Amino acid sequence: MFESFTDVNHSFFGLLNQGPLTLTLFLHAVIVLPMFWIYFQEKKRLESEN
Amino acid sequence: MSRKKVSVWSDNRFWQRSAIWVTGFASLLLIWLTFDTMGQISMGNQKDIDNHITKRVPSATVINYEVEYNMNQNRGHEVPVIGGDDGKGNSLFKVKEKFFGRDDYTQKEANALLHLGKLASQAKNCMDCHTLLGNGAYYAPDLTKAWLDPAWGKNGPMQAMTGKNTKEEAMAEFLQHPGKYPTHARMMPNLGITPKEAIGLVAFLKHMSTIDTNGFPRGFGKIKEGVVYAKSK
Amino acid sequence: MQSQSNFKYESQKLGSWYFTVAMILFGAQLVLGLVAAIQFIYPSFLYDILDFSIARMIHINALVVWMLYAMIGSVYYLLPDETGIETVGIGIGKLLFWVLTLAVTVVILVFVFIQVGPATQATIWLITEGREYIEAPRWADIGIVVVVVGFLINTFLTAMKGRRTGIMTVILSDMIALAGLYLAGMYFTDNISMDQYWWWWVIHLWVEATWEVMVGALAAYALIKIVGAKREIVEMWLWIEVAMLFGSGILGLGHHYFWIGTPEYWWEIGALFSSLEPLPLIGMFIHVLYDWGKEKGIKEGSGEDTTSNNTPALIWLISNGFGNFLGAGVWGFFHTLPQVNIYTHGTQFTAAHGHLAFFGAYATILIAMFYMAVQGKYGIKKLRATFASKMAIFLISFGVLGMGVALTIAGYEQVLIARAQLGATWNAFFVAQNQMWMSQAMDWRLIMGIVTTVGFVYLVKDLLTISKNPENVN
Repeated sequence: MFESFTDVNHSFFGLLNQGPLTLTLFLHAVIVLPMFWIYFQEKKRLESEN
Repeated sequence: MSRKKVSVWSDNRFWQRSAIWVTGFASLLLIWLTFDTMGQISMGNQKDIDNHITKRVPSATVINYEVEYNMNQNRGHEVPVIGGDDGKGNSLFKVKEKFFGRDDYTQKEANALLHLGKLASQAKNCMDCHTLLGNGAYYAPDLTKAWLDPAWGKNGPMQAMTGKNTKEEAMAEFLQHPGKYPTHARMMPNLGITPKEAIGLVAFLKHMSTIDTNGFPRGFGKIKEGVVYAKSK
Repeated sequence: MQSQSNFKYESQKLGSWYFTVAMILFGAQLVLGLVAAIQFIYPSFLYDILDFSIARMIHINALVVWMLYAMIGSVYYLLPDETGIETVGIGIGKLLFWVLTLAVTVVILVFVFIQVGPATQATIWLITEGREYIEAPRWADIGIVVVVVGFLINTFLTAMKGRRTGIMTVILSDMIALAGLYLAGMYFTDNISMDQYWWWWVIHLWVEATWEVMVGALAAYALIKIVGAKREIVEMWLWIEVAMLFGSGILGLGHHYFWIGTPEYWWEIGALFSSLEPLPLIGMFIHVLYDWGKEKGIKEGSGEDTTSNNTPALIWLISNGFGNFLGAGVWGFFHTLPQVNIYTHGTQFTAAHGHLAFFGAYATILIAMFYMAVQGKYGIKKLRATFASKMAIFLISFGVLGMGVALTIAGYEQVLIARAQLGATWNAFFVAQNQMWMSQAMDWRLIMGIVTTVGFVYLVKDLLTISKNPENVN
């Protein structure tokens, strides 16, 4: 299932690289996705404000 | 409570919190990545060579070994091959090569030479004309794999020019008296490099050529015309 | 520094001192740049007297230092406006200015007259560290840190005491990061890969992260001051910019870790994060144009005078928006993907990007700040552009763009001949240097450098005399 390793050393980040852009898309996702949570929290706050 | 129409997208606090989150988390990721990379690019030692462990930045004692730059089948690009090739572009760590007449530099001696060379590379400002690992100025050739340039090798024009019989002696001679050996109208200045500093610098260059640069520069020294064709202006 | 200044606060005066030194260093940068450009065409010019390495080192160091001066000056300048109070430790601020200026002078004199040293730690401590952009010797590094810490404490205490604005919050946190990152460039190691790893922390995280955020904050301040933009809106933009600049810029650092011995996973990280770096720059450009147009429309609707209150600053601000996007964004993206960068890395391509980006992203907005300081100093309500203002912006922008295009062509030629065709060796390098495309590009680079320098002369003249222009006399 996992792609075989080509780099000199094994590493966690190298492991996330399972095809074109998988590593970088994963990192982008973990940075951007929590913003949804911030969004809904702020929405709730604005709605409860007078 | 009835639902009001609110606009989160035009809300300062939302963007402020997002900015703090993104900056903070990206910084944390960078720190994590840095720890991982530090481990991978720390300099090896003679034990690694003895145990045939390939390091991205190998021990300073690689100056005792023959170095090549060959295609690695697994990696899909060229890598430095130390002490002989197993046929697939992996280092054998066997074939030695004399460096200023010796191939038995101890760890301590090799470290000292590399230290001197690295210091000299900074004290003489190499990087403000040349590029090292591709970084620096663009007035003079890249030195990343300079050690592997066939022009310095046997029958190479640069070695012949200095009248020396080995690559390292030719390079050291050139470094000490660059004004005597012009390779182009654009000459290297005389920087007062001493014989000792020159040996250190050549050790530094040889060591740099063994750093695994992920295949940069592509095809270094593989094209015949790139070695002998150039004429000075 | 004259007595008839209209500055309400000493902090603004101190800011203008920083601007004055910045302009002098800007001039030094251009002169040494011309020397280096001449050496590309006539290599014997000043050979063994002031070699290319020295000319180039001062060229890029003067650049970095004048921009830092102008940034520190800008913070001192806008501090009273933002906080509503005088900078608390203004006396210490002035003392630190003289200490820093003295140190910079000594460093430059050592660079010019001593140049290089023997391969000892003493050279690293006293003469040069020999690491591109941060060659300043270690003693000066420590001095810079002390001065910057003093500056930070000063701004912090002032901001705590006075009004807290979003712009100030961004500037303060950004300056801490900026100063802290400098520490990453202050150590020696035999391992060149490790060396360059940390060196990029300073260079990249300055120019592609913290400096860009500084530009965002200065642009926000300038928009409020020049076109009367609404603070809430400007600050919202600023937070969006911070999120996008740091979001892409911090891990965009990866594009410097493709070939220096670092693991292969940086290919991916560097590629996508840095590809997104142009996005906030487009945003900043749109933001400047949008706010300008909106405020103009509001004034038009209410029958007011629609001109901005500082035309030269506004023109420079708009060229900042566009130049930042073009020079840093487009030219950066050109060669940021690893499959392109394997060939462009270490060629004139980088120099083309460097010229366009430093000018477009930083020089422009800092010059806008100079004009705002001139306006403040002479208490001019509406500062109008003179002939010299227009000549300055036209010649400098045209000159730098010309240099950028020439260097791009040179870079293409190097990529094709030295890299793709001939295998990157010593001789391959010089074969490429001898080609017509390269030599003509170098001629044009020099010509455009002279054009830029003439523009600079107009700029100096304008900054010194614009207040005497009849249109600007209140």
